Amino acid sequence: MDPKTREDLLKLFQGKLNEAMTFYLETCTRCGVCIEACHVYASMGKVRYIAAYRQEIVRRIYKKYFKARGNVWPSVGDAKELNDMALEELYEAAYSCTGCRRCMVYCPFGIDTQMIMSIAKLLLVGAHSEPEILTLLADTSIEKGKSLDIFKESFLTGIKKLEKDVVKKWKMEAGGTPIPMDVQGADLLFVALAGAHSIIPTAAIFNAAGENWTLSFFEAVNFGAFVGDPGRTQLILDRIVKEAKRLKVKEVCICECGTAFRVMKQLAGKQPFKVSSVTEVHARYIKEGRIQLDRSLLNGVVTYHDPCQIARNGDVIDAPRYILKHLTNHFREMSPDPKYNWCCGGGGGLVALGEETLDFRMKSSKVKADQIKRTEATTVVTACENCHTQLCNLNDHYQMGVDVKFLSSMVADALVQK
Amino acid sequence: MSEEMKIAKVMDLKGLPCPMPILKVNKGIKEVEIGQVIEVWSTDPGSLSDFPSWARTRGHQILKTDQNGDVTRFYVQRIV
Ligand code: SF4
Ligand code: SF4
Repeated sequence: MDPKTREDLLKLFQGKLNEAMTFYLETCTRCGVCIEACHVYASMGKVRYIAAYRQEIVRRIYKKYFKARGNVWPSVGDAKELNDMALEELYEAAYSCTGCRRCMVYCPFGIDTQMIMSIAKLLLVGAHSEPEILTLLADTSIEKGKSLDIFKESFLTGIKKLEKDVVKKWKMEAGGTPIPMDVQGADLLFVALAGAHSIIPTAAIFNAAGENWTLSFFEAVNFGAFVGDPGRTQLILDRIVKEAKRLKVKEVCICECGTAFRVMKQLAGKQPFKVSSVTEVHARYIKEGRIQLDRSLLNGVVTYHDPCQIARNGDVIDAPRYILKHLTNHFREMSPDPKYNWCCGGGGGLVALGEETLDFRMKSSKVKADQIKRTEATTVVTACENCHTQLCNLNDHYQMGVDVKFLSSMVADALVQK
Repeated sequence: MSEEMKIAKVMDLKGLPCPMPILKVNKGIKEVEIGQVIEVWSTDPGSLSDFPSWARTRGHQILKTDQNGDVTRFYVQRIV
């Protein structure tokens, strides 16, 4: 690594050193409480996957360049030079961490490994050593924000084709629009993923509830957050904020995508609209009597996987359980409870990296597969695209024999037509 | 289309959800020579906005887009 590159990377590092980050970097006492907390370590037993070990790789660089040696310093590791080898270690630490923050709830000081790993990811971006795929997907999203006019018409045509499937799930009165788009003054802007499965069920539910809604031109997922690039994260987020303000909506509802929800909720800042997860909105419709569900459709035990970014990191814990109570009499919680739930093993961009990470994802999530098996459930429900993909992969790999379902599609299938 | 334009490679990405079509086409375009054209089939509605945006960021050109039922065919020329 040449001196100029190192200097540039250290500037990026410096930019991350706010009060909370400095506390996290200077506080670990190596008590070891977090050792068993990480699903990767618990499943694979390798020291490099202990949360405190991952942190230490970043911490030693911090120690070398930002904190004089010999100061009162609880952590005893050596200072480390930022060089090409260090970048490789940062890659290994950051891209084997799903950012689930399970370690954080165990740590007596609440040290946030995910936040420390955000330094590692930013240095990798700065050194052009991040996974190229994630940057490619982030740049594609950003470009869409810049050139909406170019694809607007063809996208509208594509969405029109989905409308017949929305009506199959919920019949509308003549003249109704099954998937409204670009509606000025709508109450709710729904930000979905690009796939039909993310749009059709929820569109039917909105129509059943009589919602005054409109579908966003942009997909919810934020690949900038996966790759740990704050600039790209913000640009992707801004597209949606701008659209919400232009349409003057009161609520932005994020589809079943954990990262999208967390980013919108925590990074959008003060806005004239509120941010909700689609699960919260569906629970609200049930509470208000705006939709009725048929509880007789599901046989066998049903369990729910809490997506880390929605439950532990987004505080949406009761809403999915409230919905499930209206879908089945055979709901069974996983153990331990939601705050300590095991990550599915697919977060942090690992699922988006596809086949490349499949072997690691399967090995590192054995504890998740075991946790699901213990419930003896035949249906595993979740509310995040990443988690759904990862749980399907786990189902195949560990031959669990379960049905993996999205909560929203279960709600749509159970709608009782009045 | 194929009569007017020489297609170097056809990629059938029907049924693949987002973001797979973009990842596949990004890989596929690197497997043809600069100047050659690939024909890509997708059923993902997001591709209609993803493909033009991807092409702009990576400097490739979408020569034509045909929509037929649920399937969209993109003709993409490798420029760089
Ligand atoms: S955030 Fe999750 S994956 Fe990362 S070290 Fe902590 S427990 Fe492990
Ligand atoms: S639990 Fe917290 S203080 Fe203890 S070793 Fe882990 S990160 Fe350090």
